[in-house]
Amino acid sequence: MNKTLTHIIRFFSLVAFQVFFLNNVQISGYLNPYVYILFIMLLPPKLPKAMVLILGFGMGLTMDIFADSYGIHTAATVLLAYIRPNILALVSIKGGEDLEAISIKQLRFGRFFTYTGLLCLIHHFTLFYLEAFRLNEFIDTFGRAFFSTIISLSLILLMESLRSNKNKR
Amino acid sequence: MRNLIAFFIRHHVFFVFFLLEIIAVGMLIQSHYYQASRFASSSSAWSGQMLEGYNNSTEYFSLKEINQLLAEENARLKTMRTSTKSDSIVFTNNQYQYISAKVIKNSYNKRNNYLSLNKGSLHGLENGMGVCTQQGVVGIIRDVSEHYATVMSILNKNTVISTRFSKSNHFGELHWDGKSADFAQLQSIEKYVQISVGDSLVTNSYSSIFPEGIPIGTINRFERESTENFYSIEVDLSVDYRNIDFVYVIKDMLKEERKTLEKNQIE
Repeated sequence: MNKTLTHIIRFFSLVAFQVFFLNNVQISGYLNPYVYILFIMLLPPKLPKAMVLILGFGMGLTMDIFADSYGIHTAATVLLAYIRPNILALVSIKGGEDLEAISIKQLRFGRFFTYTGLLCLIHHFTLFYLEAFRLNEFIDTFGRAFFSTIISLSLILLMESLRSNKNKR
Repeated sequence: MRNLIAFFIRHHVFFVFFLLEIIAVGMLIQSHYYQASRFASSSSAWSGQMLEGYNNSTEYFSLKEINQLLAEENARLKTMRTSTKSDSIVFTNNQYQYISAKVIKNSYNKRNNYLSLNKGSLHGLENGMGVCTQQGVVGIIRDVSEHYATVMSILNKNTVISTRFSKSNHFGELHWDGKSADFAQLQSIEKYVQISVGDSLVTNSYSSIFPEGIPIGTINRFERESTENFYSIEVDLSVDYRNIDFVYVIKDMLKEERKTLEKNQIE
């Protein structure tokens, strides 16, 4: 299948999954998983960095519109898109230049876990602290961000391993 | 000049990042101002339509519950009509107009929660109007487009609701600490006031958002710390935020009159 088309389809399916399903699911009171960031994580490493930033902005803005969160998703996702090359450099030899695409198969599980885990942590902590916007709820927000990261990361890894298994067959 | 352009080109990624972050943070800061939050909210036409479509398709599953709620409401209104005939009640009914609306999006597990309604400025909704159900207060209208509106619920750090005890006139401010969708916190009740668990709280008429006497909740537990002048009170909210389908928007017909009068007094 055409590569660009794959990414476009992924954008819309992740938005739909996030807005219509995950935003309505209640997990133990106040945890919110956000898996839409998988779209930015899986963009091709060779895509111009400015383009990744703009796509991150578009994705974050879409989330903000549906969740009435006024800019917090946009800010967190743009930051994620900006940090992405640095994290990619951590897990690959030539800063991702040698990779065709990002997947469990290309990176192997350990490095893929580090890559998605770090990005997920950065995104969620930015998001939850921007949402709370005050320091006297520091510990509460920390717990929320941390446990939401675990849930998001598990979902992301699950979705990705399902995808790579399907491709193998 | 050429060096400058070369500098921008070399660092263009950072500048794009910086610009986009400024836009995002600008949106966030702007959202703290009451009037200016039209940009990027779910009350915009296309996202509103999508949410409404999704809601229509899932609404079927809760029909039974909605029916029961409406029947209860009907019964309540019938008893009210037969039991009240005094002039003052007629006057309050004329002052406040109730507009019913359907909730097409609801959230209760974030730090700042908003609801979306399927009615907007065409149906007479405006920023700053109160929203309630038959159980009690839900929130305040935040954004209005032609066909949709968003509501800042009590479960939001920016919402402050002025409230009083139904049995006495002591009043305080209701805030939400972001922990549980069932409880909110009441502040600025001084220690000399006699309170007990189970006391009910209603809206007061100090602001023109809600009419007098709409239920908010009951006291769930309270603490008296010797170092503070005020109680810390936990309020069990009367509205179940996990299950809101239909709401009433309250339009105060005399709001403008009251505003001009109060403004004249200040000048």
